[in-house]
Amino acid sequence: MTDLKLVVQRFDPFRDAKPRMMEYPIPRREGMTVLDALLHARDYLDHSIALRFSCRQASCGSCGMKINGRPRLACYTQLAELGGEKVVVQPMDNFAIIKDLVTDLESFFAKHTEMMPYLIRADKEEMEHPSAEYLMKPQELEKVLQFTYCIKCGLCTSSCPTVATDSVFPGPQALAQAYRYAMDPRDEGGEKRLELLDGAHGVWRCHFAGSCSYVCPKGVDPALGIQLLKRHVMSGKVPHKEGAKVFTPPVPQK
Amino acid sequence: MKESRLMLVQYVTAVAAVVLVSFHLVMQGVIYPYTTAISYDNILSVYRNGFYAIFLEALLVVVLVHGFNGVRIILQEIKQSKPWTTWVDVGTVVAIMITVAYGTRTLVLAVFGGSA
Repeated sequence: MTDLKLVVQRFDPFRDAKPRMMEYPIPRREGMTVLDALLHARDYLDHSIALRFSCRQASCGSCGMKINGRPRLACYTQLAELGGEKVVVQPMDNFAIIKDLVTDLESFFAKHTEMMPYLIRADKEEMEHPSAEYLMKPQELEKVLQFTYCIKCGLCTSSCPTVATDSVFPGPQALAQAYRYAMDPRDEGGEKRLELLDGAHGVWRCHFAGSCSYVCPKGVDPALGIQLLKRHVMSGKVPHKEGAKVFTPPVPQK
Repeated sequence: MKESRLMLVQYVTAVAAVVLVSFHLVMQGVIYPYTTAISYDNILSVYRNGFYAIFLEALLVVVLVHGFNGVRIILQEIKQSKPWTTWVDVGTVVAIMITVAYGTRTLVLAVFGGSA
């Protein structure tokens, strides 16, 4: 097997005026991922390459980067699927670079938090200390299920053309999560979330390019969630909810 | 005004513009031959036709509101700050008012016999 040319964008904002590309020869092996190639380069060729990773199984969302021009997870991208002799790795767009392939996700998580990504109950005491289980119907779960698969890797946000120009726009990840919680029958804070999104830099700044859904490694369709969210923001209310049924599990008999 | 209301205006004016512009093109490009349609006398007679004058005023308002609101949206995405948002919003309303007033002036002058 021929060596792979791994081209990595290097940039240290404290030392470099602009990013530069560095090439590393990597011996290929079967089943090798881009993350494996990067770790080989870092372990054996250049210890100074900075990258973020953790689970190596597309669960943690840490290793998001631009691979051959497309936002992907490095651990979830096989070299075999890319083809060719050269792989170009760059940090995700729309985020400030901390160093090399490591981007600053602080604003990304701040926008996620702004959407109140948790169940809100009118009864505060009940919210903090639930007295029983709240059941969902399978049909209700179906509406929001795919959005619960989000691993917050930031790939959707890095591919969004609106985020590229509008720094206040929440981005596809945060908006999809707003939809996920607003549609949850156990949640009573839907109107509050919709109010938050009905501004000059809210949900209406999505122009449905669809790139967020295209790049999502978990098969989530944020663009769909955002369009459905627009419908509810326009009407000013979340769809009629029957209200979650409280279920008190039986006390186990000794 | 809430952004959702402004977007509703944008969608309604988009549909209305398609309908009105289509009608206008059919009237001025198909029913009348184009060369006749753009002759000075024909234009004056169109302006002086009550139905068509109202139609043209509606077309003017719909297209300008849609166009300037679209520009407002683009400008809001270019820069993000409270003063910028305010200036863009105010500028959009002023631009719509001035252009609608100027277009209406043309129609009114033609209807009442002045030189359009």
